[in-house]
Amino acid sequence: MSEQEHGEAPMHTGMVAPKGRWWVPAHTSEKVWFGIAFAWCMVLFAMMPLWHWKGGQNASGIRGRVEPAAFSARVDQFVADYQVGELNGFPVVEPPPGSDVYLLGRMWSWYPVLKLRKGAEYTLHLSSVDVNHGFSLYPVNINFQVVPGYDYALRIVPTEAGDFGIICNEFCGIGHHMMLGKVIVTNEDGSMPGEPAAAMETSR
Amino acid sequence: MSVVPEAGSSNEPEQMPLGQRLYDNWFLLMVAGILIMAVIYTGWGLWEIVSLPQGALP
Amino acid sequence: MSTTVLERPDAPQPPPSLTDRLFRRCGVTGLLLHRPAERLIKAHAVAATVALLIGGISAVLILLTRWQAVHLLEPVMFYRVLTAHGISMLIFFIIFFEMAVLYFAAGPLLNSRIAAPKFGWFNFGLMTVGAVLVEWMIWTGKADVLMTSYIPLRADPLYYLGIILFAVGALLVCFQFFATLVIAKREKTYEGSLPLITFGAVTAAIIAVITLLHGAATYIPTFLWSIGVMSVDPQVYRMLWWALGHSSQQINVAAMVAIWYLLGALTVGAVVLNEKISRTAFVLYILFISMASAHHLLVDPGFSSSWKVVNTSYFMYMAVLASMLHGFTVPAGVEVGQRLRGATQGLFGWIKRAPWGDPGFSSLVLSVVVFGFVGGITGVTIGTEQINIVVHNTLRVPGHFHATVVSGTAMAFMGLTYYLIPLIFRKRVAFWPLARVQPYLFAGGMLIFSIFMSFSGGFGVPRRHWDINFSNAPFEQAFHPAVDALMAVMALGGIIAAIGGGLYILITVWSVFFGKPFSDADRVPGANGIPQGLIRPPRPVVAADSANLPTGRFGAAPGTMVLVLIFLTAFAVYYFANWKLLSFVWKIG
Repeated sequence: MSEQEHGEAPMHTGMVAPKGRWWVPAHTSEKVWFGIAFAWCMVLFAMMPLWHWKGGQNASGIRGRVEPAAFSARVDQFVADYQVGELNGFPVVEPPPGSDVYLLGRMWSWYPVLKLRKGAEYTLHLSSVDVNHGFSLYPVNINFQVVPGYDYALRIVPTEAGDFGIICNEFCGIGHHMMLGKVIVTNEDGSMPGEPAAAMETSR
Repeated sequence: MSVVPEAGSSNEPEQMPLGQRLYDNWFLLMVAGILIMAVIYTGWGLWEIVSLPQGALP
Repeated sequence: MSTTVLERPDAPQPPPSLTDRLFRRCGVTGLLLHRPAERLIKAHAVAATVALLIGGISAVLILLTRWQAVHLLEPVMFYRVLTAHGISMLIFFIIFFEMAVLYFAAGPLLNSRIAAPKFGWFNFGLMTVGAVLVEWMIWTGKADVLMTSYIPLRADPLYYLGIILFAVGALLVCFQFFATLVIAKREKTYEGSLPLITFGAVTAAIIAVITLLHGAATYIPTFLWSIGVMSVDPQVYRMLWWALGHSSQQINVAAMVAIWYLLGALTVGAVVLNEKISRTAFVLYILFISMASAHHLLVDPGFSSSWKVVNTSYFMYMAVLASMLHGFTVPAGVEVGQRLRGATQGLFGWIKRAPWGDPGFSSLVLSVVVFGFVGGITGVTIGTEQINIVVHNTLRVPGHFHATVVSGTAMAFMGLTYYLIPLIFRKRVAFWPLARVQPYLFAGGMLIFSIFMSFSGGFGVPRRHWDINFSNAPFEQAFHPAVDALMAVMALGGIIAAIGGGLYILITVWSVFFGKPFSDADRVPGANGIPQGLIRPPRPVVAADSANLPTGRFGAAPGTMVLVLIFLTAFAVYYFANWKLLSFVWKIG
């Protein structure tokens, strides 16, 4: 088959074995689309580093290995240090702003209940003592994988006050759908959302 | 891997462009595909996990 | 009108030593069909359909449970059926079908015999025994671990063994595929380079090798762990499993695109605008598509952001570039094919005059459109490291992948079946009026299902979850009131899709076993049960009379140019809207 200009060469379907040289320049319109698509891909790629630099939501965290027993003990210590009450059999723990907060996932509960303050920063440590769980803070919604043997410490700042649920969204056995935790976020001054602004200490 | 010119043809180039010959070499493509995945995803990924420090739990 | 064989000016003659016993010449395409290959293709297609049936019944049961107004299954059965659904659809149905595609692309499409057909039956046996073992384990309650079987969740050792057997069988078929390519080249059954469709199959096979090697690395240690012989770290398991789990879906992408070119060729004589561009897109898949398995690990503790960003981006989105190239070349090929056949009016006359009543064609278009617009756009978006924070394990994930693997890949496979039934099984398609409607029903239902599932996920509804009313939980939690309505519409869409899927199974099974025989003499206009591309086959090689094709700035396919620009706009809008929404979330870092 002799070589002809691209536009005049016989055209074939994808079922045909092309003979001779098929490595030929594309038509301008195809090159233009290639260029546009390539540029778009560069935009896509730039967004993630850009958000690390400028954006407020990233998955970096401080990550490390932990023995489940060690994490469990640390959680117990955390509860002992900052417990302020109880809710449906779970300790309610109110850590000071800026501190390390510990949440344990296990079949089939999130332990303990956390009481945080709007606008304050915490380092939230996530781990499991048995199988994979899925930390899903509703209705924000924030989702992280909770892996046994690993500590995922995320610096968080609650930006709204209210009642939040911790759903488990990683299958963890037959009680998976009953696994529900709680996070309470108070206003900046410590008052519960919906109550008068005068500082009210809650169930101390 | 050059294409043997057909008997009787006079104006066929003896070698196809490098890109065409590369694309025709599926074995090379497979090796490249396996290697890239093995290094960038699997190898690097394993290294990431293995080199995680012990969590401080402050 | 011509009833002769398609013009194949250089179709090679079979070597004189081969007899009719081993080959038959297809009266429509002119291809030389190796009879042992045909038998293997049929066997794998049938096995795929059985898996599809199991997966489809499971789908309806799951759907009627997630629709809480019905809440059909009890929790244990729900998670069990969910396991069966995932494995049957994403592993058994799809891979059995793909093995059929591999045999076709290396054998008949190259007019070649396939390597070691008897070995092919051994491999089919391995895959079948493995699949039956896995299904038996699941349905008898020995593998209530979901398709992902994340360690430390533990299934019966035989479950893992079954998957290993299936994977080994599939891997060996891939080696047969490559061996067939070597044979075809050595025996000079074709001249020049492999056809583009076979090159697409090569892409699929290479990704399959990458996938299955990682599968072995995952399941062999896991099997040993299940019998107490070694320990496996949960994070390492997740990393390796997803190299199998997602890469197997990339096999689907490559096979689907190859089938797009095949269906385009068979239905409207779609041409390859530029072999270099189309093949470059496949090469980018080979090199860079598998690493995006990392998008399942974006909110896992085991990996740094650098690893996450480099891998989830398919290495700077090079594989997304590839998809955008195919997203242009496939419709453009259809457009040019149509224009060369006389549909030259305006920008979109080629669409108006397309054979929309041909289920092969409608499946092709629906597959391209839903895969691209819904599956592709949502996938790239939710696969970014940070947006994944609001997406991981919510219903946005299955909302996305039902648009890609079901409305995309499965749809394309279904469309191809309407041509395979006459061409390979030599039968007419039964229930022809229903067959013509089936793609629309299936795609329409799936579109509603995927979109409303994604909406629900946007409200935080979890995937793989039996009860979003949290009936027995220690606290109360109610979703936004809209969620009930969204999930109900999702369920309705799913039911429509299930009817479409059920129709497909009914039509194909009936055709194969009870259908009227198909012979070349039946190819008359208006014939029942024969797609139009077989009655009036488009020519595979056409002189490009430049008077027929547009020569403006937008090239030979200006209609497609407009469509892809619309696509890019939709992409940009959806993408940046999601970043904006993310900015309202709590600060996390």
